Amino acid sequence: MTGAVWRASRAAVRRRKVQTIVIGLVVFCSTTTILLALAVMSSARAPFDAAFGAQRGAHAVATFDAAKAPAEHLAAGAHRPGVEAAAGPFAQVTLNIPTDWLGHPPGSITLVGRADPAGPVDRVKLTAGHWATGPGEVVVSMGRGTFDNLLGRTIAPTGAPPLTVVGIANSMSNSAGGWVTPEQMAALHPSAEQMLYRFTDASTDEALKAGLAKATEGLPGDALTSAQSYLSLKQAFSASADAYLPFMSVFGALGLVVAVLIVGNVVSGAVVSGYRHIGVLKALGFTPRQVVAVYIAMVSVPAIAGAVLGTAAGWALAGPIIDVAFNGIDTGTAALAPPAWLPVACLVAVPLLVALAALLPASRAHRISAAEAITAGSAPRTGRGLQVQRWLSGTRLPRSVSLGLGQPFTRPARTALTMASIVLGVVTVTFATGLTGTLLASMQPPDGDDGRTFVHVQVGAADAHQTVSKLTDTQIEAVLRATPGSDQVTSRAFERVGLVGYTQPVFADFYGGDALERPLHVVKGRPATGPGEVVAGPAFLDQHGLQLGDRITLDVSGRLLPATIVGEPLEGNARAVASNAATLAATGVQLHVVEYVVRLAPGADTDAYVKAIKDTDPGLYPNAVTHDMNGPITSVITFSTIFTLLLCVVAALGVFNTVLLNTRERRRDLGMLKSIGMTPRQVVAMTVTSVAGLGLVSGIIGVPLGMAAHRLIVENITILAFTDSMINVWHTPLLIAVALAGVLIAVLGALLPARTAARLPIAEVLHNE
Amino acid sequence: MSNDHGGSTRQDGAQVVVELSAVHKEFGDAKALDGIDLRIRAGEAVAVMGPSGCGKSTLLNMVAGLDRPTSGTVRVHGQDLGKLNETGLALFRRRHIGMIFQFFNLIDDLPALDNVALAAQLTGTSARQARRRALELLDELGVAHRRNTYPAALSGGERQRVAVARALMNRPALLLADEPTGALDSRSGEQVMDLLIDLNQIGQTLLIVTHDPHLATRCASRLVEVADGRVARERSLEHTA
Repeated sequence: MTGAVWRASRAAVRRRKVQTIVIGLVVFCSTTTILLALAVMSSARAPFDAAFGAQRGAHAVATFDAAKAPAEHLAAGAHRPGVEAAAGPFAQVTLNIPTDWLGHPPGSITLVGRADPAGPVDRVKLTAGHWATGPGEVVVSMGRGTFDNLLGRTIAPTGAPPLTVVGIANSMSNSAGGWVTPEQMAALHPSAEQMLYRFTDASTDEALKAGLAKATEGLPGDALTSAQSYLSLKQAFSASADAYLPFMSVFGALGLVVAVLIVGNVVSGAVVSGYRHIGVLKALGFTPRQVVAVYIAMVSVPAIAGAVLGTAAGWALAGPIIDVAFNGIDTGTAALAPPAWLPVACLVAVPLLVALAALLPASRAHRISAAEAITAGSAPRTGRGLQVQRWLSGTRLPRSVSLGLGQPFTRPARTALTMASIVLGVVTVTFATGLTGTLLASMQPPDGDDGRTFVHVQVGAADAHQTVSKLTDTQIEAVLRATPGSDQVTSRAFERVGLVGYTQPVFADFYGGDALERPLHVVKGRPATGPGEVVAGPAFLDQHGLQLGDRITLDVSGRLLPATIVGEPLEGNARAVASNAATLAATGVQLHVVEYVVRLAPGADTDAYVKAIKDTDPGLYPNAVTHDMNGPITSVITFSTIFTLLLCVVAALGVFNTVLLNTRERRRDLGMLKSIGMTPRQVVAMTVTSVAGLGLVSGIIGVPLGMAAHRLIVENITILAFTDSMINVWHTPLLIAVALAGVLIAVLGALLPARTAARLPIAEVLHNE
Repeated sequence: MSNDHGGSTRQDGAQVVVELSAVHKEFGDAKALDGIDLRIRAGEAVAVMGPSGCGKSTLLNMVAGLDRPTSGTVRVHGQDLGKLNETGLALFRRRHIGMIFQFFNLIDDLPALDNVALAAQLTGTSARQARRRALELLDELGVAHRRNTYPAALSGGERQRVAVARALMNRPALLLADEPTGALDSRSGEQVMDLLIDLNQIGQTLLIVTHDPHLATRCASRLVEVADGRVARERSLEHTA
């Protein structure tokens, strides 16, 4: 009889081609959404942990004075209690590079001598080239991105021979700026030894300190010169990356719920609409259990196909989507990738979910008698939602419209599921609209800059294989101002500086020239236009435990510079502050300007200006931009648009299925209505109205929920400081528009089955029913 | 042969309501109608009989504009139905055709009154006016007391009366009945037959498709027998009542 069950299932699949395709399509889209949602959520939840764990990152990167810490003693520390694993000692040296190197400003680089990137701790990931194997070779540490073009370039540290870049690698432990062979390291005269530790308990700073104390037991007190905790790396990482993750998580969660709802609705609908067939099977001698098996198999065929294809599509898209989601977000050196268990989980869970959704209605098929099931499709139904139908029939609405509006009340459960998916669709649209509005508002140029063209002029650097300008900073600025079309010129100098009281260096931008308030645009406090003033983004303040009004001291090339934090921009690098040329002048340090921003006069010929600059000095690299697009913000907008569209398509598919089922169940009614003169247009109107009303109600419910989600998220992002005007993006026409998204989803989903209903062959329907 | 009908000859010279000329209908290789010619004049009651699959229901569908012939012309009330698009056919049915079916085809979610009023409301008639006219019809057909009852709670005869009321709602020139007593017990069937006779006696043109010779002979003034998609025999029915 198993063969009979399979044959009956196969026949049912063939007979219900449209429904089979719908189930397959919905499961396909839902699986893709679920996989993408989970991929983003898993990346959002713990990207650092995942990447750190994958590299067996070091809980502590310890540097020792080579003279005071013998290598044998350090190696013995690996076997102390509390130390899970250790690597090293590796010889280490810090060298100074006086010029720009590989896109970095002048400054120091820490090199470590390692024979290979593997080991029990800090398995450095080589992303390009090969590991250093000979003298004069270096592997440099870079974050995410493609740096193949750096291979073969050289770096020239002071007092050391030039080193050729043979590989690019990244270390989640941030254990070095570069690696050379142990032999090469010996030639560089190292003065320090590096140990990389993993501890059995590394959950807190105290636990780390305790672990480190045990590992270094017996060494002189001053042998340990520095110890970098992975917790501070994690904090630095999450301060920037995690800031955008709540956005992603909201979309992920919405995607999951919508997908589950739609699958449940589609599959249960398929079973309910097949009661008559169930009756026939029972009459033929199928046992109740076999009938259930037929139905489970019937929905499983397209569901498995949809799940497999959806998993493949989701897996293929997950990488690019995560890249989009995290593009422009500083993720340290984390290589973000969806977990490998995800496709397996989807392949198992989605068909299981479908089977479960089918099991509930199929269990009713299990109970009812053959006669009852056979007559389920032809006997008069005891009407449902009767009071509403009666009231609607008495209204002034066109009868086709009032008939349509009454239809949802005849199938309350199906209506509720359909409405829930439209509501979530509207919530998604509202949330995405609000988020986009807020982010766009945050990107608005200050008053006076609106519509102006800006030209960014980079000063050529030898290190980047560019022509070096022969002009001084003052001369360059004079050229930019004198070239016709120029309106304002702002300069930017850049330096890695120390922050007194903190171990990690920070970056400082010093702006000069005109309109300092533009680059130092703040949403809280005021621009740092005076000497001794700096602005710092919310992530910087949060990470360093600072607030507006606090005083900090910067170490600029050995000169101490006290400064007051006077403003907080909308966002900013968690490791950067910004100030002005007057502040820098107080230190007496001369920094080269790396970039100029020129605002052109209204009506100026941009191309002519750019050409004139290039002609004047080939060492200047002008680039016209109409607007300074912010990478992470653009990513969030792109990501939210993709997910919103996907969710709306899934919600519309849910509506499509509901209308299809309703139309099939009401074939007889439709035939009769057409026989008494209902025109095709009236049939379409009735069918579309049957869900457009739901769409409208869903819009009314979904908009406030979406608004609440938007406010909740944007008010709790620690890395971005949105002003009230950026958060309050809502106005009546926009609210009406997003509320109508529900109607749009409903109408789009209903249109195709409505047109099919309008073309229903009346004679055939009335003859067969 | 005798019947209860009162006017077998009074239609002579009356306006032709239905005119089928050389109508063919094919479903794939199967010929449902094979060159049917038929004329029905205003006030006539014509019964079409024949074995299953002979094409009588197809013929009815052609006259109602529910289906289109493969070739030939179908004129109803002077209108060539072949020249109308789907919307035109719907408007045509709304104005000129009333239909009753073997299985009533009432909407289960609407009470009897609203089922009847529906036909007028589709034309844009206000709910109040449509309900007033529907109530009049239900009253004339003896089921006004069941106006607020839903189809599931009506007897078969009552359902068919409600269906007849709905068919008459827009005062159609032609009433088409497809096995109108086929799903009824004999007593209810007789009541529906009486109703059809009464309607014809007040001038309603009827085209009835049936298997039931008793229905045909009681209600029709002319019998058209169809076999293999053709009119095999056509004769007037005398009555004795």
